[in-house]
Amino acid sequence: MGIASILQVDEMLGDFNRMNKRQSLYQVLSFAMIVSSALMIWKGLMVVTGSESPIVVVLSGSMEPAFHRGDLLFLTNYKEEPVRVGEIVVFKVEGRDIPIVHRVIKLHEKEDGTVKFLTKGDNNNVDDRGLYAPGQLWLTKKDIVGRARGFLPYVGIITIFMNEYPKVKWAILSILAIFVLLHRE
Amino acid sequence: MAKKDDKTQAADELVKVNKWDGSAVKHALDDAVKTCLLGDRPQLKEQFGLVNTRLVLCALAVGVAIMAHAWDFTHPFPQSKPVLLFSVLAYFALMGVLTLHTTFREKGTFVVAVQKDAGTKASRTWEASSDMKKYDDKYMLTLGVRDGRGQREQTSIKSCAAFIDANGIILDNLVANEVNRLYNSLAAEKKDK
Repeated sequence: MGIASILQVDEMLGDFNRMNKRQSLYQVLSFAMIVSSALMIWKGLMVVTGSESPIVVVLSGSMEPAFHRGDLLFLTNYKEEPVRVGEIVVFKVEGRDIPIVHRVIKLHEKEDGTVKFLTKGDNNNVDDRGLYAPGQLWLTKKDIVGRARGFLPYVGIITIFMNEYPKVKWAILSILAIFVLLHRE
Repeated sequence: MAKKDDKTQAADELVKVNKWDGSAVKHALDDAVKTCLLGDRPQLKEQFGLVNTRLVLCALAVGVAIMAHAWDFTHPFPQSKPVLLFSVLAYFALMGVLTLHTTFREKGTFVVAVQKDAGTKASRTWEASSDMKKYDDKYMLTLGVRDGRGQREQTSIKSCAAFIDANGIILDNLVANEVNRLYNSLAAEKKDK
């Protein structure tokens, strides 16, 4: 089995060595296009949903039984649709990168349109004031990444796994990259 | 023993492929056809127009993507929205053009060469294209020639096993026979007209 796989690699390398300059350039560009396509689809989703992170993974169990760790959430962030109490929002606390998925429980709205929210996880005993930045008692519009509109269960477990074991992520990505670069069409 | 001689004399060009990998076989055969077509005919000069167009389109698309990413990085999301929108549309438009180019213009062509007869202004363009379906063994080679008077092409459909031996080594002389047959047939017909 080991010998067979070595021979296969040999032929793939042979294929690669026989490529001329244009072929090699095309291989590199093909790889770049795969990466670019993924990037452009993500940016496209950002534009369409209005959210800077249109798809997020639920990282904790603070919203059970509605959402569990590993669920994938689809968000939108339209200005025309104001956030209301009872809706589930994803927000980022200033200074921290991790998005938090909780429900809005209180809301203050001024006549000029500025809003202040208070959030709490369904499965938590206390509201989120302990999570906000020191001295911050309310969230504002700019902290909100988006409102949850739909979800896919379990799919996000892969992302959580890859983030906990970054070496696995890099290993898989490297193997895929090498395969794409060496394999002709 | 003759094989051993071949290996030492033509050691640089003995091409071995995995004979069960259809895509590798097709590419190896394409390469062999190209070498045979251009090798003995110094009057044929290879043209890279088609390939260059494809490369430029790819490079443009990747460039747009990089620019969009850089812009979004330096101008955080809500401000970068119009630029992102334009980039996404441009990117997928370019991909569309690229697909059209590959499907309708390139169509399996792997070598384009121009033959300039000494003394005459007329030149002829030769194009070789091939097709081999996914799990099929039939290698369809089409050689076409285009000049001022019109264009003609000839196709040969043979099993790829006709050009590869049991070990997966491409037999260039058998490929050359086929290529020469098509080339001479087309060249002769043209002369008659």
